[in-house]
Amino acid sequence: MSGTGPFARACREALGAPALAMAATFLAFGTAAAAAGLSLGWTLLAALGVYGMPGQMILLGGGGVAAAVAANARFLPMAVSLSPWLGRGGGRWLSLPFIAVTPWAMAMRRLPHTPPTDRLRWFLGFALTSWIVAGLSALAGFLLAGRLPGPVLAVLLLTNPIYFGLIVADAARVHPARLSVACGLLATPLALVLPASLGLLAAGLVGGSVAFALSARRRD
Amino acid sequence: MTELLLLIGACVALRAAGLAMAGRMGAEHPFIRWASSVAMATLAAFVASALLMPSGALATLPIAARLGGMGAAVAVLFWRGGLLLPVLAGLAVAVLLSP
Repeated sequence: MSGTGPFARACREALGAPALAMAATFLAFGTAAAAAGLSLGWTLLAALGVYGMPGQMILLGGGGVAAAVAANARFLPMAVSLSPWLGRGGGRWLSLPFIAVTPWAMAMRRLPHTPPTDRLRWFLGFALTSWIVAGLSALAGFLLAGRLPGPVLAVLLLTNPIYFGLIVADAARVHPARLSVACGLLATPLALVLPASLGLLAAGLVGGSVAFALSARRRD
Repeated sequence: MTELLLLIGACVALRAAGLAMAGRMGAEHPFIRWASSVAMATLAAFVASALLMPSGALATLPIAARLGGMGAAVAVLFWRGGLLLPVLAGLAVAVLLSP
């Protein structure tokens, strides 16, 4: 494989800021799973099989399957919005295990500017690298459990919202994503008052639908 | 372990349903634009709630550190671009603003 092909380029891109955010989050998850007395096998299966942190954390905390599924329901709109960029052939199904917020967010930045023939390979390179980083970080977190001072863990956990905050801030520079971001922020109180499993889903549905309606009116 | 396997199955089903529902629609199809809007709004709400009302160890950081870190990261993003440098700048400011 060429070192400059879309797959290799995406692997390198995934090893920058996305890997830092992914590593910090999954390191903290591995630590929390070990502290909860769960096995290494459970930890890795959750990290790589679920591959969606809100649902993982809810299951880890004993919140039950239904609440964990609701917390990860964002996979559905993410897969819908990603699908057209991965081509119309059956190859896009290869992306299925890797559809999560980090690859989705970067794909929505990169794929519109990537030649159509390169898009699926770019996504698979980025997503596979992120997935491997997540698994290795969960393993490291599990092995480091109890050795990370609280303040270090807290700063590690801040990496994830900062990283996604940057994705959101960058997306908000252009229409119509700007409207979606603004309405999502305005709908955030729903995420704060409803149960954790439903709050984000409700805020996203309400904010995103209002933004879509406003954007459609502007188009007419 | 049964609960975990059920959750994995449900997550696979959610992703598969999204890929199947999108079918052969283009990126400009109203359904795709609505789903993209919902996904982006969800991400924005996630960031805001994680910074304003976090749970777990993140809640031990003072709000000034969380918001100051985010503000510094966005400032560096608009100044220099990229993602890694803004993330590192944001974390550095958060550490400086922590007790």
